[in-house]
Amino acid sequence: MKSIRLTAAIAAALFLATPAVANDKLVELAKSEANWVMPGNNYDANNYSKATQINTRNVKDLRPAWTFSTGVLNGHEGTPLVVGDRMYIHSPFPNNTFALDLNDPTRIVWQHKPRQSAAARAVACCDVVNRGLAYWPGEGNTPALIFKTLLDGHIVAMRADNGEEYWKMENSDIRVGSTLTIAPFVVKDLVIVGSSGAELGVRGYVTAYDVKTGEQKWRAYATGPDEQMLIGQDFNEHNPHYGRFGLGQKTWEGDAWKIGGGTNWGWYAFDPGTNMIYFGSGNPAPWNETMRPGDNKWTMTIWGRDVDTGEAKFGYQKTPHDEWDYAGVNVMMLSEQKDKDGKMRKLLTHPDRNGIVYTLDRETGDLVSADKLDDTVNWVKHVDLKTGLPVRDPEFATRMNHNARDICPSAMGYHNQGHDSYDPEKQLFFMGINHICMDWEPFMLPYRAGQFFVGATLNMYPGPKGDRQKYEGLGQIKAYNAITGEYKWEFMERFAVWGGTLATAGDLVFYGTLDGFIKARNSNTGELLWKFSLPSGAIGHPMTYTHNDTQYVAIFYGVGGWPGIGLVQDLSDPTAGLGAVGAFKELQHYTQMGGGVMVFSLGGKGPYDNLNKGEYASN
Amino acid sequence: MKTSAKSVSVLLPTVLCATLIALPALAAAEPLRICASKIEAPFSYADGSGFENKIATAVAEAMGRKAEFVWTDRAAIYLVRDLLDKNECDVVVGLDPDDPRVLTTRPYYRSGYAIVTRAEQNVDIDSWSDPELMGMKQVAMGFASAPEAMFKKIGKYEDNVNYIYELVEFKSRRNQYIRVDPGLMVNQVATGKADAAIAFAPELARYVRDSVVPLEISFVPPDQTGSGEPIPFVYDQTMGVRKDDTELRDALNVAIEKAMPKIRTILEQEAVPTLPVGQS
Repeated sequence: MKSIRLTAAIAAALFLATPAVANDKLVELAKSEANWVMPGNNYDANNYSKATQINTRNVKDLRPAWTFSTGVLNGHEGTPLVVGDRMYIHSPFPNNTFALDLNDPTRIVWQHKPRQSAAARAVACCDVVNRGLAYWPGEGNTPALIFKTLLDGHIVAMRADNGEEYWKMENSDIRVGSTLTIAPFVVKDLVIVGSSGAELGVRGYVTAYDVKTGEQKWRAYATGPDEQMLIGQDFNEHNPHYGRFGLGQKTWEGDAWKIGGGTNWGWYAFDPGTNMIYFGSGNPAPWNETMRPGDNKWTMTIWGRDVDTGEAKFGYQKTPHDEWDYAGVNVMMLSEQKDKDGKMRKLLTHPDRNGIVYTLDRETGDLVSADKLDDTVNWVKHVDLKTGLPVRDPEFATRMNHNARDICPSAMGYHNQGHDSYDPEKQLFFMGINHICMDWEPFMLPYRAGQFFVGATLNMYPGPKGDRQKYEGLGQIKAYNAITGEYKWEFMERFAVWGGTLATAGDLVFYGTLDGFIKARNSNTGELLWKFSLPSGAIGHPMTYTHNDTQYVAIFYGVGGWPGIGLVQDLSDPTAGLGAVGAFKELQHYTQMGGGVMVFSLGGKGPYDNLNKGEYASN
Repeated sequence: MKTSAKSVSVLLPTVLCATLIALPALAAAEPLRICASKIEAPFSYADGSGFENKIATAVAEAMGRKAEFVWTDRAAIYLVRDLLDKNECDVVVGLDPDDPRVLTTRPYYRSGYAIVTRAEQNVDIDSWSDPELMGMKQVAMGFASAPEAMFKKIGKYEDNVNYIYELVEFKSRRNQYIRVDPGLMVNQVATGKADAAIAFAPELARYVRDSVVPLEISFVPPDQTGSGEPIPFVYDQTMGVRKDDTELRDALNVAIEKAMPKIRTILEQEAVPTLPVGQS
């Protein structure tokens, strides 16, 4: 009880400090345990619920309450949304959407099945995933809306009440190799969308649309001239050593910035106090680092942008001149914590693909801490907190004429797209980790008439703590304190914990595994308290909601994505899928494709406890 | 006699000649093992219809040996690494004279990069700053080719590269060789989807010849931009053998000389525009 009161006090203090948010209904809706209004639950993107009905004492009694199949067999990333009596469910390509009635979830209230170009399938790099939906609560004559992205590059607004298409805009052009897999993000009356496809030389951008009309309000590129990147006058004024003006062009050779990548397909967070959104831009293109000398700014960057104008307030580049494909798009989780000097600060914590978990002051962009996600990270010795620069180990670089062995992390990163959680009571981040390393063997083959091919053979396998004979031990689950830099507990997993975690005030952390378990651990100790075998592997994150006084936990099943690419596309060459097929070759012995949602409650309590519910009744 | 031929030939040039003349007769029963890709049209194709398949056959005949093709399902770029170096075959057709991995023969023809346009476009490109070229929106070409390097020099690469990726359905080139199909390149020009295609002329010639839509093919102008090293557009083509296989290389040189009339005929039938060997 004591700790709950403490949270309330902090929340109250926050609201005093940030008066101008009353218009934002989403902030209010997110406070209720009845709702899960965005993939990260709230603008802090902390995947944390104050619900305590399910807790360490009774979690062993969790049972399925009801299930739903999306009818799509591909990787299911992200998590469903719940607003009031409705659950909104997304699917991978063809990006169907379903609205279910929580009082009788066998009834599909509406479904939206878009037509889109099948060509989009060919363009997508790593399965045809989608990370979820966004909800806008409606205002005046405009009804509440659900937003989704289509793989073929469109963003669609649908009426939340009946699923009718409200507007549709083209955000990315698949004819130039750009797709969309990101979950849109609603702030005020804007819906924010990123872009995908950096593997193929597109130029990344983030765009804000008017929720009511689809009109483009601003667009900010990751590379190029300052005015196109919306670099503000005061950009990085607190940290001029990060770099300030003109660098979107100067850190590239010639016009290479035009196809320099830096897309963003991960997650967003928003602070009504700073009025900034926070997200990461991805890897530079092309993949071959020798072809793009320079720092390649502002790819691989943690951005703080004013949400109304898109103007960049700060940008911190984590991996200048990337050589490993450590796309920097991962989740940003917001917290208020006392730093080592005891000063209360607004923080942003970001477990990056490069194997470092960064914590920044989200008002200034100051680097507060940068710790290794695992002590086996080796491409970087440490991050210099003064300069912000990674101190590299050349042995694990990927330059030509150098066979780099056992680079940790692999190109998949020690952390990928998973949406993790933060428990503000315990001041712990719960992180699902990939424990995968790689060999990177570059090669050059001449061809006739002066032509040649530069390639790299990637072999991926379990990290040093895994079993390299059996190809298991490819993942970890960890509890991390961003202030002390310490891991309170950690455990190995058979496969990567790809989808992320959910934390609850019931002292629990939930997550799914690639081999198809949903698990619950004691968030204080890490002790495994419950697990259930899903119909297919999980690559999304769990969520929870309380309906009619019953707390439910829901998760997508449906193996796929980059780690499941071998299963989805039936590949066997270990270097296929950029090495993922080899790393996850054992996965096929544990799970097969599927696609749907499973919902759990204590004892399986749910809408069909009343046996008459859903029965045929004649007039 | 046969076992000592090698050492003798090194010591005594006169004996070398005698040996070489004697070789075809001696090896008549041994087929010439030619490394070949099944998917490298128009150079090489599974049914033997590639013009380099025909040239290889002509040269083998001139040696008095039977042409035996050792086929791979992979692109020709892998031939040296995956077949020749592993002793699975003995000669690769169609390599540049300075290929550092092999011992190359004398050239058997010379050609250059060419630009293909529709006749109705009435285009005449005489320099790399030609306004007609600069105004082109979509130009088909291969990855890491001389025109790609040239497009980087003249600032057209970044605006064109997405079109090239579209031609290969945006496949990633990180760990697999992706070739832009020359038949598709020419077809794109014929159907008006591309303003031009620029590639090594022998690669395009057959498709230009067979196009229903009248097309024009002409060698590209030299690189006179003055920036950096000039990019070469004209290349001799040779055959390659393993570095220690001087015996076969010498035999091939003699056979190529002998087969030249046939080789010329094959190239003419293919409609390959050629240049005198060794000149630019």
